[in-house]
Amino acid sequence: MAIDLVKEKYNDAINTVEIGPSGSKTVKVGGETTMPFLFAEGGMPNAPVVALEVLDCEPSDWPESVKKSFGDSIKTPVAWAKACVSEFGAKILCVRLQSVHPDYGNRPAEEAVATLKSISKEAGVPLIVIGSGDDEKDNEVLPKASQALKGENCLFGIATQNNYKTLTATALADGHSIIGESPIDINIAKQLNILISDMGLDPKRIVMHPTTTSLGYGMEYVYSIMERARLAAFIGDKMLSMPFILFVGQEVWKTKEAKEFGEAQGVNWEIATSVAMLQAGADILVMRHPSAAKSVMKYIDMAMNK
Amino acid sequence: MKEFTIRFMPQDKTVSVPRGTDLMSAAIKCGIALNTSCGGEGLCGKCRVIVKNGKIKSDASRIIREAEKKSGVVLACQAIVEGDAEIEVPKESLGAFGKIDSGAEEFTKGVILKEEGKYPVSPLVRKVYLELAKPTAEDNISDLDRVCRQLHLKIDDVLVSTKLTSVKHLSEILREGDFKITVIMGRKDDRVEILAVEAGDRTNKNFGFAFDIGTTTVAGQLIDLNTKNILGTRIAFNKQAAYGSDVISRIIFASEPDGLEKLNEAVLDNVDGIIEDLASSCDVALSDVYAVTCAGNTTMMHLLLKIDPSNIRKVPYVPTTNVFPTAHSAELGLETNPKGIVSFLPGVASYVGGDIVAGVLACGIAENDEMSLLADIGTNGEIVIGSKDWMIGAAASAGPAFEGSGLAHGMKAVKGAIDKVRIDEKLGVDADTIGGSKPKGICGSGYIDLLCQLLKRNIIGKDGRINRELKSERIRKAEANYEFVVAFRSETDINRDIVINDDDIENLKRAKAAIYSAMTALLKKVEKDISDLKKIYIAGGFGNYLNIDNAVFIGLLPDIKRDIYEFVGNSSLAGARMALLSREAADKASEIYKNITYVDLSSEPGYMDEYVAALFFPHTDEGRFPSVRLSR
Repeated sequence: MAIDLVKEKYNDAINTVEIGPSGSKTVKVGGETTMPFLFAEGGMPNAPVVALEVLDCEPSDWPESVKKSFGDSIKTPVAWAKACVSEFGAKILCVRLQSVHPDYGNRPAEEAVATLKSISKEAGVPLIVIGSGDDEKDNEVLPKASQALKGENCLFGIATQNNYKTLTATALADGHSIIGESPIDINIAKQLNILISDMGLDPKRIVMHPTTTSLGYGMEYVYSIMERARLAAFIGDKMLSMPFILFVGQEVWKTKEAKEFGEAQGVNWEIATSVAMLQAGADILVMRHPSAAKSVMKYIDMAMNK
Repeated sequence: MKEFTIRFMPQDKTVSVPRGTDLMSAAIKCGIALNTSCGGEGLCGKCRVIVKNGKIKSDASRIIREAEKKSGVVLACQAIVEGDAEIEVPKESLGAFGKIDSGAEEFTKGVILKEEGKYPVSPLVRKVYLELAKPTAEDNISDLDRVCRQLHLKIDDVLVSTKLTSVKHLSEILREGDFKITVIMGRKDDRVEILAVEAGDRTNKNFGFAFDIGTTTVAGQLIDLNTKNILGTRIAFNKQAAYGSDVISRIIFASEPDGLEKLNEAVLDNVDGIIEDLASSCDVALSDVYAVTCAGNTTMMHLLLKIDPSNIRKVPYVPTTNVFPTAHSAELGLETNPKGIVSFLPGVASYVGGDIVAGVLACGIAENDEMSLLADIGTNGEIVIGSKDWMIGAAASAGPAFEGSGLAHGMKAVKGAIDKVRIDEKLGVDADTIGGSKPKGICGSGYIDLLCQLLKRNIIGKDGRINRELKSERIRKAEANYEFVVAFRSETDINRDIVINDDDIENLKRAKAAIYSAMTALLKKVEKDISDLKKIYIAGGFGNYLNIDNAVFIGLLPDIKRDIYEFVGNSSLAGARMALLSREAADKASEIYKNITYVDLSSEPGYMDEYVAALFFPHTDEGRFPSVRLSR
């Protein structure tokens, strides 16, 4: 006699977050009612998406193996962004405003915002916009960027426990969603979501970054935090019901294994990390190498039974 | 090396120290105790002094404001002598630790009084008056035999011993009193010892001290052992705080050269200070005090007895002993009668000590059929759960915040401390102080009220950060963080604004999270729920007052029916008093320590998670605090 495996059914769903102005190109993420790809237990109305990462300046610390795959376009942000869409099939981009960082050019905020506006216009896909990682500069540039893209319904980041108010206030004013980041800690993730919601931003406009790590660097910790958050969301924790974003490219291409043992290994490293994160519940993967992105997009199609 | 002369004003004390000495050490050297709660790390800002003239090098500190810097303010612990100098010591930097205050606390709280009443009066030291038959040719037994013969007719204790010092002058005393004498007998663990013999009837003068030796606070009571009356209570900040604010930093300091001696001296100073102060104000001769009982955590007991505590800190956290043998006062060097004895409440483990055993005794937990919980909100923050059948205990490492230590304007629950706070809609502050005088600072119960009000008025967020966007003269930027003015300079007794800042709130948040998560983690460990508890006893140096509703509001205590809570004040001191007054209570304590199972929370899976979840107001899981409603 065949044994029926137990099927978990949950009553609650992950929030659906829309990115981009309404229209055919809008990207929707979230909405799951099951752990990843277990279609017999629930649904995944929106497939996870791959966002290719572009900077507002030529990257100075990306490995050559990543840079060369974009050809000359990487030298000019707008051309690079356009190539990501037309050549490499990106349906959404993540623009990092790196140029304002004191260690990466310290360019004026206005310049970065001008570049961002051009990218938005020329690339024609929904945008995720993140700061440079320097709180002071980001608190200057992000409100300006947010205002410049008012109505574009972007996903802005990155809000942290110690710096979330400026970004939340601007996102609220300009109609964007935001990324809340926590240091591999389910409680801090939830606390930040509460603090952001308390400022009046709809919880359905928040995407969580649980911290990304690369394959070989403690990925299982991130995996289990994501899994716990998901299970809590499925049983009704509204403050953990946000989709996940993971900055895979940023982490993978820092590692020795990806950088120093040939391009193929680096690409595979980014694919392997991404696939593991998809199985943990990632909704948005921000990736760097176009070949890796292509393979992961294919994997998503396959996993979604398309 | 060349020495320089440092003169401290207004004390007008001068000391000669080599180049490179810090001002804190120079001050200690000439007997000036400066305030500190960080142990000289340059973090707490309580040792501010003013350089009037001379060569003192001091690195920039974010604690000192620009304006203060211009007028010569430095942190004594960070200021280095480079030449002769004259230093002014402001009033508020002076000796808050070690300073003896009358206990505002009324220690005989209801429940404790009830428990205490259960035990018969049989004090640690008793005095028996004897009229002996004078020796004759027929009855020519020795003087000591004569005393013992008569003694055995009067008392039940058979195991009587004596020692050389008590016998040496016996013949003299007997004849001086015309064979009418008072025998002073002390209970040394399982036997009774003749501590001394005095001429005449001295039975009406029999006094003892009970002590709670806390990491942050030392409390003592003088008790008439004949009437059980408490003659007075005193509390002081533990002078060891100058060498570190928690047990771990003290243990580390103890292993430095002379470290153990310094720590031992510091606490003996505290104890003797309280003994002398109480005895003189109650008109009791120290020679009439033969009994002292101490309760304290395991590290404090080691330091009091000058026992090396170093292994308490190292895995697997083994103390020299949890049970300390009764000693003679002379062995400790106390000011009480040197022939007298000092007994100690036994502890459970390195981090659950005799103070908690005393608390369990005082609350009667070990006699209850139903399960109850004791939370002692002190520096270590210990929790015990159980009933007469079983008990389990753990330490929470809460830190001294609720004892008013380590905070910008924190103080003990004594006269002048803000203990109740209300904030109105326009952010006006209405504060009560203990004794009704102008405020000097804020004590633990005041901080609990304050946090609650700050949350209700949205002055701080659920993460505890002061709301920078709120416009009010009370909210302002102060160097690295923000602060809220509780009382303006003109309203205070310290010539400075009394404030609470972001760092204070962070400290308090950690302390409340540690206590709450220790409670829930320990309950989880025994697979029980808060609703299974029939009673929750809250102990701690909060003075007379602790607003349970507000403590729940900030997430320090679980949100359950308020009537199961009972605030019991300093239960460690109460337990010490009970053991001093009754042999049966002391025996019960020996039973209790054996029945408590110690749990090391740091190695409990899930504890860190509980702790981080509690680092929010009231809690990350708001569902656990249904009665707390915070507006957006």
